[in-house]
Amino acid sequence: MPTPPSLQTTALDHLRVIRTLMERSNIYRAVSAPAALIGGLLSLGVAIYGISQNLLSKRFGNHEFFFAWLGVLVITTIINLFLLMREAGSKGQPFITDGLRMALRAIVPPMLTGGVLGGCMIWLSHDIALGAIVWVLCYGLALQATVSFAPRSIIVLARAFLITGQVLAIVFFLQNQHGMSKWKEDEASFTLGLTFGLFHIIYGIAVFFSKPKSNE
Amino acid sequence: MIDFSQLDRVIHEKGRLSIMSLLAARSPWGFQDLKSELDMSDGNLITHLRTLAKENYVREDKTTALNSDRPRTTYEITSAGRIAFKGYIKVLEAIVKHSKPQ
Repeated sequence: MPTPPSLQTTALDHLRVIRTLMERSNIYRAVSAPAALIGGLLSLGVAIYGISQNLLSKRFGNHEFFFAWLGVLVITTIINLFLLMREAGSKGQPFITDGLRMALRAIVPPMLTGGVLGGCMIWLSHDIALGAIVWVLCYGLALQATVSFAPRSIIVLARAFLITGQVLAIVFFLQNQHGMSKWKEDEASFTLGLTFGLFHIIYGIAVFFSKPKSNE
Repeated sequence: MIDFSQLDRVIHEKGRLSIMSLLAARSPWGFQDLKSELDMSDGNLITHLRTLAKENYVREDKTTALNSDRPRTTYEITSAGRIAFKGYIKVLEAIVKHSKPQ
């Protein structure tokens, strides 16, 4: 006996509903909007400070640059974890969830790779600008790795980091041929200020003003 | 040949189907979270949840959050509910498969 067309339509419709809801319920936002906003402002501040120090001919060399940005990373990570913990607590949910585990499994490998590679470029090769570009690209890859369970805004943020990092890498290698790097601290501060600063501020504001609970 | 009587009428209603889908993907869910996720009224949601609980498909739990004095009602899918939900999906898939031209 063939299945009536109306029942088939209903079955397809119900399967679609199940799939959409099950996917949506597994969405996990690994970067909280207020933490992104604070981190963005902090990054912009450090970038402006770095550029101003060089303009004033004061020292903001490799080591100062590295530790300043490491500080931004540590402070923002602590704030982000604290906010995620508070959010979970307010919902009566545990902090360590499958979502957090999934996010860490996705984020940690590219972040560690970027940290080691970029750090080596800054400390050992003294190529501060290329190190900054590596950080941008690896952070973009870390966000991109959460694509299967992240809200759309994180995916947009990941793409912004990746596209900007790739464009900057091309420009860097076009301008710095024959192994002579012309890009120094200013360009590195500008790169990180634009991406970790401005992009995070835009992301934070966009999420803050978007409808709560929406799958923005 | 599909036995249409296998289609669970309790889950087949769209509101209850949505609740079961969310609970099957991740449990537990707070009442307010379910309400905002599904955009249902309090009355509508509670009626569906009671129907599902009556069939022993979902379990209600009242807890108090660490930083709040207010009790929080959460819902989670039972093993009977999970079996019924999987069975329901299988029937839906069979319907779709059966309708496809060979």
